[in-house]
Amino acid sequence: MTHSHTHAAGRRTGTTSRHGGRTAEPVPPQIPARRGPGGRRLLAALLLVGLLASVLPWWLGTPAGSLRTTAATVTAAGRITGLVAGYLLLVQVLMMSRLPVLERWIGGEQLGRWHRDVGATLLVAVLAHLSLILVGYADLRNHSVLAEVGTLLGDYEDMLSAFVATGIMMLVGFSSVRAIRRALPYELWHLLHRSSYLVLLLGFGHQFSHGAQLYKPGPVRTGWIALYLLVVAALLWGRVIAPLAFNLRHRLRVADVVAESPDTISIYLTGERLDRLEMLGGQHFRWRFLTRGCWWQSHPFSVSAAANGRWLRLTVKVVGAHTADLRDLDPGTRVWAQGPSGTFTAAHRLRDRALLIAGGSGITPIRAMLEELPPGAALIYRARTPADVLLSRELDWLAQARDTSIWYVIGSRDDPGPRQLMSPDGLLQLVPDMTHRDVYLCGPPGLVEQSVRALRRAGVPRRQIHLATFEL
Amino acid sequence: MRRAFLAITGLAASTTALVVLKGSPGTSQVAQDLPAAQPVSPTPQGVDPSAAPDAGPAGTTPKSSVSAGAPSSPKPSRSTARPSGTRTTAKAPTAPRTTTKAPQPTTRRVTGPGVDNEYGYVQVQIVVSGNRIVEAVALSLPSGGESDIHSGDVRDRYNGTGGEVVQKQSANLNTVSGATETSNSYKQSLRGAIEQAF
Repeated sequence: MTHSHTHAAGRRTGTTSRHGGRTAEPVPPQIPARRGPGGRRLLAALLLVGLLASVLPWWLGTPAGSLRTTAATVTAAGRITGLVAGYLLLVQVLMMSRLPVLERWIGGEQLGRWHRDVGATLLVAVLAHLSLILVGYADLRNHSVLAEVGTLLGDYEDMLSAFVATGIMMLVGFSSVRAIRRALPYELWHLLHRSSYLVLLLGFGHQFSHGAQLYKPGPVRTGWIALYLLVVAALLWGRVIAPLAFNLRHRLRVADVVAESPDTISIYLTGERLDRLEMLGGQHFRWRFLTRGCWWQSHPFSVSAAANGRWLRLTVKVVGAHTADLRDLDPGTRVWAQGPSGTFTAAHRLRDRALLIAGGSGITPIRAMLEELPPGAALIYRARTPADVLLSRELDWLAQARDTSIWYVIGSRDDPGPRQLMSPDGLLQLVPDMTHRDVYLCGPPGLVEQSVRALRRAGVPRRQIHLATFEL
Repeated sequence: MRRAFLAITGLAASTTALVVLKGSPGTSQVAQDLPAAQPVSPTPQGVDPSAAPDAGPAGTTPKSSVSAGAPSSPKPSRSTARPSGTRTTAKAPTAPRTTTKAPQPTTRRVTGPGVDNEYGYVQVQIVVSGNRIVEAVALSLPSGGESDIHSGDVRDRYNGTGGEVVQKQSANLNTVSGATETSNSYKQSLRGAIEQAF
C-alpha cells in the first residue's frame, strides 16, 4: 500500500492569526463549565449509606448473644445476605433507570461498570441468602436440605415465585459473563436481561410475607416499600416520562442523509426548540428511527457536531443490517431519541488541556467535543487509509479556529510508523506535556486498549483518561 | 471485575463480622449496645399489632426490668419477658376493653386445646365479641434457646387485636417462616378454640 508509510501524513497547527479561519460559525460554542466529581461522590456515598441502613433493622432487631446455635447463626447470616440482596437489586434497577440525574452526574459508561460489579455481588448475595436460609432452617428442624426445599415451596406463601426469581437472576448473571455474552446474539441477551424486571416483581412478595425484619407493619416495612416505589418511579421517569417530554418538545425528523465516505453517512436532523437542547459535544443519544424496518431497534450513536440551535448530526459507519438501512432514510422520517447521556465531554475534564485520540469513525464524538474544549488541544487521528479519514475539512477548520494541533496517523496497526507513534515514547514525543492533559479516547477496542496501556506506561493518571464506550 | 471481587469479599467478611458480633454475649460493647437498641426496635412492633392502650406498658416494663436485672444474659429478655408480660397483663386489657365496648355485652374468652410439638407446648385463647374474634392470645408457646425467637415471631404475627387471627377471622393463617411447627400447633389450638366459640 502506497500510503502505509505516510503515517504522519500531515500536521496542521492552529495559527495565532485568526484571519485564515472560516468564520461561518453563527453562535461560537462556549466552553462548558467543569463538572467536578462531587455529584458522583455524593451519589456513591448515598448508595453506601443505604446499604448500611438496609442491614440496620436486623442489627437492632436481633438481641445480642441470641445466636447460640449453629442453626441460628447460619439463619442470621442468611437474613443479612437477604437484606443486602434486596437492597442491591433495587440499586441495580435504579442504575439502569436512565434517570437524567444519574446520567448527568455519573454517566452511562460509569453506571455500566458499576452495574456489572454490583450485579456480580448481587448474584453471590442471593445465592448465599438462599443456601444459608435453607441450611439454617433445615438444621433447625432436623430436616435434610432437600426436605426443607419441599417445606418452603409447599407451606410458604410467595416462596415459589422467589425461587423462580432466583432462577431468572442466575440465568441473567451467567449470560452476562463476558465470554458467554459474546457467544449469544445481542437480541437474545437483551431479552434475557429485560427479564430481570420479573425478578423485581417475583422476589417482592416473599420479602414481606417472610422477611423477619419486614413482615411486621412498622417503619422498616414502610421504608422498604417506599424504596421499591422510589425505584419504580425512577424507572418510569427515566424510561418513559423524560424521553416522552424530550421528544414531544423537540420532535426530531431526518432532514438529510449525506455520504461522508464510501461506508460512512451523516444524518442531519432538525426539530423544534433545538436552541433549548441541553447537550454537550461528545454525548450520545439512543436513536430509534421510526420507519417500518427500524422502529423496534434503538442504537446509541454520538452526535458529531456540538449543539448549534439549528440542527443535530450523527455520523455513522455502515457495518450491519441496521446501519445499512439508515442509508435509505427519507427526509421527514420521525426520530425518537433518548438522551443525551455520557460523560465523554469537555465538562468532565480535569485539566486545562486535552489530548484526543480517535480511531476511524471514533472521530465523531471528538469532532463535536473539539468545539467546546479550551484552545490548545491536540488530536491524534488514527485511520487505516486516507479514505477512512472522516470530516477532515471540518477538522482543518477547527484546527485553525480553536488552536488545535492535529496529527493524522495513517496506516495499518502493524506498520512500523504507527506502531512507533502509538508507543509511550512516540506519544510523549508528539505531546510532551501529555501527563498534564486529559486524554479522550474513542475508537475500535484494539486501539483503545493499546493506547490506554501506552498512556498508563507514559505516566498519565487513570482518572485523566476518558473512554467513550457504549457497551454495557 | 476486580471491584466486584472486592465487593463480594467485603460482603462475606462483613456478614461474618455482624453475626460474630451479635453472637458473642460476653463482649461489653454488645452489652452496652443492647439496652439502647432494644427499646427502639421492638416497641413499634409491639404497638402496632396489639392493642394500642395496653401494649406500651405491657411491652416495656417487664423488658426493662429483666435487662437491667440480668445483664450477663441479656438474650432471653425479649422473648421470655414477653410471654410473662402478656400473660400477667392478660387480665389488664380486659378491663379497658369491656369499658370501651360497653354496649356489646357478649364478650367472652375461649381457650383452645393445648398442643404438644417437638419444641414445646402451645395453647391459644381468643376473645370473641358477638360473631367476631377481637383478640388472640398465646397462653403458652415453646421457649428456650432458638424457640424464643420463633415463638416471638409467631406471637408478633398472630396475637393481639390487630394480628393475623383477628384480620383473617379463621385458623387459616400463613405459616411464619422458620417456625412451621409452632405455627401449625398454634393453628390447631386456635381451630379448637374457634369450634368451641361458634
